[in-house]
Amino acid sequence: MVEVKTGDFVLPGDNLATVEEFFPGEGVYEEGGGIYSSSVGMVLIDVRTKRISVFPKPKTPAVLKQGDVIIGRVEDVREQSLNVSLGVLRGREDRELPAPKVGTLHVSRAHTAYVRELDRLFRPGDIIRAKVFGAQKEQVQLSTASKELGVLVALCSRCRSVLDKEGSKLRCPNCGSLETRKTTDDYRQGVL
Amino acid sequence: MDKPEKLMIDGKRLDGRSPEELRPFKIVAGALERADGSAYVEMGNNKVFAAVYGPREMHPRHHALPDQAVLRCRYNMAPFSVDDRKKPGPNRRSIEISKVTREALEPVMFLELYPRSVIDVFVEVLQADAGTRTAGINAASVALADAGIPMKDLVSSVAVGKVEETVVMDLFKEEDQWGTTDMPIAMIPRKKAITLLQMDGHFTEEEFKYALDLASRGCTQIYEAQRQALKEKYTMRKEEE
Repeated sequence: MVEVKTGDFVLPGDNLATVEEFFPGEGVYEEGGGIYSSSVGMVLIDVRTKRISVFPKPKTPAVLKQGDVIIGRVEDVREQSLNVSLGVLRGREDRELPAPKVGTLHVSRAHTAYVRELDRLFRPGDIIRAKVFGAQKEQVQLSTASKELGVLVALCSRCRSVLDKEGSKLRCPNCGSLETRKTTDDYRQGVL
Repeated sequence: MDKPEKLMIDGKRLDGRSPEELRPFKIVAGALERADGSAYVEMGNNKVFAAVYGPREMHPRHHALPDQAVLRCRYNMAPFSVDDRKKPGPNRRSIEISKVTREALEPVMFLELYPRSVIDVFVEVLQADAGTRTAGINAASVALADAGIPMKDLVSSVAVGKVEETVVMDLFKEEDQWGTTDMPIAMIPRKKAITLLQMDGHFTEEEFKYALDLASRGCTQIYEAQRQALKEKYTMRKEEE
């Protein structure tokens, strides 16, 4: 058998090792006592943890993990949480997210300070930037407790026109209504 | 097109090949800019593109499966791909080929990784010259790997058949039309696992065994070219960096 070493270029189906030698890591699969590559990429062997993985060369599907930053839209604001439909993963705007594209943001992770009413921070239709807090469960847990996270674009709850920033509040240029949001520090700058 | 007087002359075929020879073929990985993964395949006069998108959210939503992704294949022939204009849109034949393409690819996919999602595979035939489904499967397989979707292995495909009592590999249009048998096969060459086997016509038992062996040899050749295509794309890129 040919010895596979770190940095080798492998393709799906290439035999890398036997299960006795290594633990299967990312980009590999185990079948019939052997470890095989499931991706096009480079072999990575961690000698210390005895783990063999394949680092993929092509652009892989966008998969959410803790710490990722996403752009989404607020769908529903409730007392304790809000539902967010996930748009794109920052840095991976080229690839659609796999389903289910929904996340939830709990009131405890909405702001660094205490939040009495969640609807003073978010309203349905707002475009938000949030950090992924946990992605193991079906519903992705989000967080906006940071100054660069929060509402990117907000709509007036009365007339649905885009709100302008006015001090720490938001003013509707159409109907003059004054609203509050947990905005990002770059509200309406057009930066994802 | 009139029937040629003979399909085999002195053990050679009309295009000069021996019975056990493939047509010249070409495989390119990543031929389309906007697809998540793509490939272009030429097998003789067949010219086929495959594009892969996803895994992404399924629309309509109720077609999604709660525990795994759906592989959705669409085989389509361009109206100008054949001598007589093909009426655009799906027909009985293309719906069937879409189904068998999907079934040929499913065994190498890890669909359980992406529940509620769909992986779309589009196979577009630009020029047809018999054996487009095999060319389509070859292209789709490379396109899936190019999209970075985890796979167990690549799938390779070739047709074998019988013309004038000779078992031949990789039929072209005249042989397909006037020959006795056409048998497209897709397989995972390394495991010798067959994922597609269709047959139009008849073989004796011995002929069938020989044909299967011939197809296996053809698939191995194509498999090597598919690997080469992926290698070229992804080791070239390393040097650019």
